[in-house]
Amino acid sequence: MDNLETRLVKDFKDRGLAKHSLEWVGTYRLEGINAAESLGLPSITNEDWRFTSLKDFANRNFSPYISKLLKYKKPKLPDYIKNIDGYFLYMHNGKLALDYEYPFLVQGLEDSFDCPEVKKVLLDSTSTKNKDFFYELGSAFIEYGLFLKVKKREALDKPIVVINTYDSEIDNKFLNTRNIFYFEEESSAEIIEYSFSELNNEYFLNKTATVYIEKNSKVEHLLVEDGSKSSFIFSNLKIIQDKDSHFTTNSILSGGQLIRNNVHPMLNGEGSYSNILGLYLSIEEQLMDNYMFVEHLKANCGSRQLYKGLLNDSSKGVFHGRILVHEEAQQTNAYQTNRNLLLSDSAQVDTKPQLEIYADDVKCSHGATIGQIDKDALLYLQARGINKDKAMLILIKAFTDEVCEPIENPILLDAFHKIVNDWFKKSKLTDLELED
Amino acid sequence: MLEIINLHAEVEGQKILNGLDLKINKGEVHSIMGPNGSGKSTLASIMAGKEDYDITEGDIVYNGESILELAPDERAQQGIFLAFQYPIEIPGVSNGYFLREAFNSINKARGNPPLKPVQFGKLAKEKIKMLKMDESFLKRSLNEGFSGGEKKRNEILQMAILEPLLSILDETDSGLDIDALQIVANGVNSLRSKETSFLVITHYQRLLDYIVPDYVHVLVNGKIVKSGGKELALELESKGYSWLED
Repeated sequence: MDNLETRLVKDFKDRGLAKHSLEWVGTYRLEGINAAESLGLPSITNEDWRFTSLKDFANRNFSPYISKLLKYKKPKLPDYIKNIDGYFLYMHNGKLALDYEYPFLVQGLEDSFDCPEVKKVLLDSTSTKNKDFFYELGSAFIEYGLFLKVKKREALDKPIVVINTYDSEIDNKFLNTRNIFYFEEESSAEIIEYSFSELNNEYFLNKTATVYIEKNSKVEHLLVEDGSKSSFIFSNLKIIQDKDSHFTTNSILSGGQLIRNNVHPMLNGEGSYSNILGLYLSIEEQLMDNYMFVEHLKANCGSRQLYKGLLNDSSKGVFHGRILVHEEAQQTNAYQTNRNLLLSDSAQVDTKPQLEIYADDVKCSHGATIGQIDKDALLYLQARGINKDKAMLILIKAFTDEVCEPIENPILLDAFHKIVNDWFKKSKLTDLELED
Repeated sequence: MLEIINLHAEVEGQKILNGLDLKINKGEVHSIMGPNGSGKSTLASIMAGKEDYDITEGDIVYNGESILELAPDERAQQGIFLAFQYPIEIPGVSNGYFLREAFNSINKARGNPPLKPVQFGKLAKEKIKMLKMDESFLKRSLNEGFSGGEKKRNEILQMAILEPLLSILDETDSGLDIDALQIVANGVNSLRSKETSFLVITHYQRLLDYIVPDYVHVLVNGKIVKSGGKELALELESKGYSWLED
């Protein structure tokens, strides 16, 4: 049968991807394709994919895209991104495009396989507990992306802003990217990853980011996925945290006809903490599937998940919140909350917690809600003279704002508000504007 | 200023108001008293524009025009204010932001330019002082985690800031201790003028010791069965309502 996965396997073989000048890279890819092949494209009989059918996706004829950089012009960015005081990096169709001087190391992943950190991250990050088809596929086709390293004791004065753009070159293509962010001990940094496409083109984007945080380091991460509304986006974010490290990630998802958003923090050093925040904003027929896998491997770690969905029209959201506390991970604190606000009668959400706890001294909690705009709250605001549209917007913004509370960096916080407000405007929830 | 004419209202087929008549002139304070289930809170909700009720007969005329077709925000913009019996908690919306939005919406309807945050802050702080509240009130989420007394005081604060022409107080005294009751009553009294009117809905005569009404009406089974001066409240306090019920 000539389905997507057999075509990809064939392409892998035809291009001889298992051969690389560095033997371990070839082996890594081969293990990736073998794992992907044996896992197979997930179907809804797979518990982790129960609510997201890939049938329609699998029948499409995506062929692999080989990143190349021809002429590149800096994209036109919205003011609230353009005006961020940060270190800008540009990636176009998955390839690092512009290269200035930065107070950190950054280069294309394709030129970085001989870096010991890259090898370490790639060979370390394979959790045996979570085999994911798209993650493995990403390993099989690993080539392009970026490698970024912040040195020991370095505290970046400005956020790193990674701009990802896509053009018609990748229409009907399978684009595979891999970013590696490496933070040496006692460093601190903020990253904004901003992906968008001005075209309504159809592509299959498989992106993996691995964030490796050495001890006593602190990283804040804001990810904005606003790719083409016709695209299929599979995103894997894996975080490996060492002792006493602190990580906050906040995802704002608004692009794609289908997004699968996997977030997998591995708390692999005592005293580490992970804040996993997200907002899925869906309209029309979009499907946004969030799969959280918080893995506590060592003692005295904490994690908090707060994911909120705002769903309009016939869109659909999924939240799967898995927490795994290994036997060794005593005194774990792990919290999970998923809240959803449905703005239309035909929007739909499936939410599911999954707790697996093998240690005996842990605090874990989970909670989920699905609701609509509170009529009494709306009346209360209106009764004070605020018109209905504005009152709705105030209530919606109050709902979405909660996920930005743990962000400490003022630039990231400001960007969060502006991006969400812009989405309100673009998706025509109302013509009104809120103050940022 | 306000004329309620033969008002009939029902919710889910159940009749609640059965031909209520009430006339309030500028500068007057009226009180409605009545037993549980007599329709007091329904009247307050209908005045604010809550959607759940069917008006089957009658009209509410405010400043010469029917308000039945007006949305709640339009009523507020015309100067009608309801102090809710159960103020809603709205997490994530700060009290200060909410008050400024409300103030500017009403201000705009009155043809005035909006106040800048600093200007509004000054105004809000004055009113807060008057109600013996703490300034930190403005930073807290709207009514979230407020005690019963704080919620009621917050209603009066809103009233003081928005300066309505007709204020309806729906059992504002319930859940208040004597100190809080006095503060709330002082707040209301400070707003009394020749231009403003009040409709004070209460179970108990106690509140009327502090907010002295010009008229007292007794609501039974969705209808006003007796009206009188402030002494009627005292009579009700000693005799109860049963002598007025059929």
